[in-house]
Amino acid sequence: MPTISRRKFLAASAVGTAALAVGPYVSFDAWAKAQNESQETKVTPTLCGACDNWCAINVHTKGDRVWKAEGIPGAGKNLGGVCAKGHGFLHELYNPDRIRGPLKRVGPDKFEAISWEQAFKEIGEKTLAIKEKHGPQSIFWLTHPQANHSLNGRFLHALGSSNMFSHGSTCFMPRNVGWWLTVGGKPEMDLEHSRMIVLLGRNPAGGLNLGSLREISRARSNGARMVVVDPRFNESASLADRWLRIRPGTDLALVLALSHVIIEEGRWQKEFVEKYTEGFAEFAAEVKKYTPAWAQEKTGISAAEIVQLARELAGYAPRVCVHRGYHGAMGTQYKNSLQLVRAVGCLSGLLGNFNQPGGLYFPPKPKLGKLDPKDYPKPPEVPDHMSDGSGDPDRYPLVPAGNGIAHAIPELALKGELKAGFVYHSNPIRTNPNPARVIAGYKKLELLVSFDYVLSETATIAHYILPEAFYLESDDVVYTSHSVRSAQVSIRQPVVKPLYDTKPLFEILKGMAGNLGIGEYFKFTLEEYNRASLAPLHVTLERLKKEGVIDTGSRWEPGPPKLKTPSGKLEMVSSILKDYGLPAIPTWEEPLVMPDPKDPHSFRLIHGKQAHHTHARTGNQPYLTEITTLNDWARVWIHPDRAKLLGLRDGDCMSITSTVGKGRARCRITEGIHPDCIFLPSGYGMFSRHFKFGKKHGQGGYGFGISYNDFLPTYFDPVLGHTMGNEIIVRVEKSTTRGA
Amino acid sequence: MPHYGIAIDTTKCIGCHACRVACQNQNGLAYDQEFNRIVERERGRYPSFAKEFIPLQCNHCENAPCQRVCPTGATYTTKEGVVLVNPKTCVGCKYCVEACPYKMRMIDHHKGIVVKCVMCIDLVRQGGIPACVSTCPTQVRIFGDLDDPNSEISRFVATHRAQPLRADLDTRPRIFYKRS
Repeated sequence: MPTISRRKFLAASAVGTAALAVGPYVSFDAWAKAQNESQETKVTPTLCGACDNWCAINVHTKGDRVWKAEGIPGAGKNLGGVCAKGHGFLHELYNPDRIRGPLKRVGPDKFEAISWEQAFKEIGEKTLAIKEKHGPQSIFWLTHPQANHSLNGRFLHALGSSNMFSHGSTCFMPRNVGWWLTVGGKPEMDLEHSRMIVLLGRNPAGGLNLGSLREISRARSNGARMVVVDPRFNESASLADRWLRIRPGTDLALVLALSHVIIEEGRWQKEFVEKYTEGFAEFAAEVKKYTPAWAQEKTGISAAEIVQLARELAGYAPRVCVHRGYHGAMGTQYKNSLQLVRAVGCLSGLLGNFNQPGGLYFPPKPKLGKLDPKDYPKPPEVPDHMSDGSGDPDRYPLVPAGNGIAHAIPELALKGELKAGFVYHSNPIRTNPNPARVIAGYKKLELLVSFDYVLSETATIAHYILPEAFYLESDDVVYTSHSVRSAQVSIRQPVVKPLYDTKPLFEILKGMAGNLGIGEYFKFTLEEYNRASLAPLHVTLERLKKEGVIDTGSRWEPGPPKLKTPSGKLEMVSSILKDYGLPAIPTWEEPLVMPDPKDPHSFRLIHGKQAHHTHARTGNQPYLTEITTLNDWARVWIHPDRAKLLGLRDGDCMSITSTVGKGRARCRITEGIHPDCIFLPSGYGMFSRHFKFGKKHGQGGYGFGISYNDFLPTYFDPVLGHTMGNEIIVRVEKSTTRGA
Repeated sequence: MPHYGIAIDTTKCIGCHACRVACQNQNGLAYDQEFNRIVERERGRYPSFAKEFIPLQCNHCENAPCQRVCPTGATYTTKEGVVLVNPKTCVGCKYCVEACPYKMRMIDHHKGIVVKCVMCIDLVRQGGIPACVSTCPTQVRIFGDLDDPNSEISRFVATHRAQPLRADLDTRPRIFYKRS
């Protein structure tokens, strides 16, 4: 009996079907070509908006739909790279959770669509009434500082208020102030030409910086050594030669001990220290007591390792680079963060790497022009300090006015000092510590205006939501932050027409200004503003919009460093700190809290970014949340020895409790973390019920996961007022209920 | 005619998944469809603890098991050495999905066919490079002509003795890995 196998049967039937359905054979190539030619493709250079690096990208559209993004190779910040967020966030344009037009809140979580005119009119009336009754300082603006920061400032100053807040107190404040005190500003790093790179409390592979990563990759190809110092084996550690598992909060002890070894062994860059630093003798006297044996006790890193690292660094100096930090140990994480930044500054001084190849340098910046004040009057001067005490010599003299202490806003609102707020590109209710207190504070405001494109946690309690056009639909001001090795200008421009009734920020400001009696300060168009900015650079707006990024000429050149400190030198003894009676020489300072070594349930809770999520912004986008789902990456890291004591197996659920909050999460048992702490990736724990899309598709959106802010008490660092985000002690127990 | 391949340096991979989403956009995939993925491996105890991210994709085998089992001849190899599926003749029988030792073929449930990495052949024929290669922040992937001994990829493979995955299967992949 003839038999027919399943394969032969399929083969036969397929040929038949194909012949019936499509006639002659269509090659893949022809098919692909047809797919591509079905719609016209167009390329628009613009700036990404998935995080706040604003990487320069070429966005391709097919017909009227966004298709894909490619990096612009010459752009200083991303050097041609685009990350998962940059690609995935393109889809956010079509997220059904977006707001379609201005909204007014008419009850708890109840919104009514209104016209832009009505919104501007009502906001104008309410703001003026508040200004009249409580004075202009009762109005604040909270922003994520970007290119358009100057426009926001213009608006607020025109109203007569100096209360311009950035997210700095929850992010980078000690890093910025520490470098400013030591060398007069925040330096860049010539990682590409480094012979040795040390990442200390910084993870550019998680808190992404694409330019840095490309440079590190090239440096590694050229044989550079690399050491990562972190309580956990972070993503950057995968690139390194060595991972030093440091006890969280003790990086300062390590840096002081490195300085100790370099000085004791006479390995510092003598000429550089002699010529360009101030206070070496005092610093040397101070670090005499910070021996490697002492640091071993504090950090858990062996004295031998510390000596070896110090010798290696000194051996490769000045072509070495200790990363200048960001949100990690040198950011707003610890009570001793400011001292750490200062100590790294002094160590860099000993290594003599300032303005040297492979070291630290100040990037050249293009000098933008301004509107002629004769035709376009500048807003009147405002007080030089803020309601939270920033810039006030008696309270927070070192916190720059214009940055402020953002997580003090709820306190000030509860005290009745702030009455009306404008929240732009920020979601403080999710990104500030202790949400219950933040909500109470923001709810106390008589007027809260949010410019969000979705009903985020903050937008949900705002009185008005004026949706800004999405970054792919919006014009913006000339941007200079791609100036890394050379001075560059770039610009954001619309890739597609706005899908909904939304407006670019400038149009919103102008609309509000007209109803606030400050219209005279906005009597120009965005185009005029941008042309005035570009005028001194001899770059036309048309050319900038065509090319996306333009090099304006000046490049960084290695040479003798020019530092903008009071002494003109790298200040190991800070003259400014001395004036304020603060510790002027980097000195050891204990972290604010320490877990109880005798209690198996006591841990420090540390947090950090993942490369596919930005703050509380991307957790509702399925293209990104899917990465979490696939890898099960929302789990909380715990060391196997500690997990064993708690009876935890990989994937078990833990209950986590601090003095202010509690939550549940599944555990990831890994050797890649210090036993003293648990690690909670940030980007989860969104609790606005309007984040439905991510919830529907994988591990994201409303109600998924937890955030470190749920556990963080409201702290204000005594010197800079920052959040001290890793100073959390939690109690961890095995839980029988399910968690994220 | 060049024979394309990709060299992957896992010592530089940080698991950021830019390649995954770049590929999804380039090829118009849904959020849960993938032509490449990353596997995370941990080993050892501190201080010798290490982690490796291994990017995986279709290996474009010279001796492709998926092509051998395809009953309709939908899977074919282009003159550049890229293994493709003809969507018009694929009947979605999934023989190839089973046959692929690397498990890098995927079923498109909407079209009822099997899809896979196309090495961005459209882009490549226009003079570009695959999306996963160009987007990578740490330049893990090197794309180029394996027949040209002076190409970057050939030199890389030779210098680092990069190996294909599961060379013992004699599938002769065109994706090479440097793993330590």
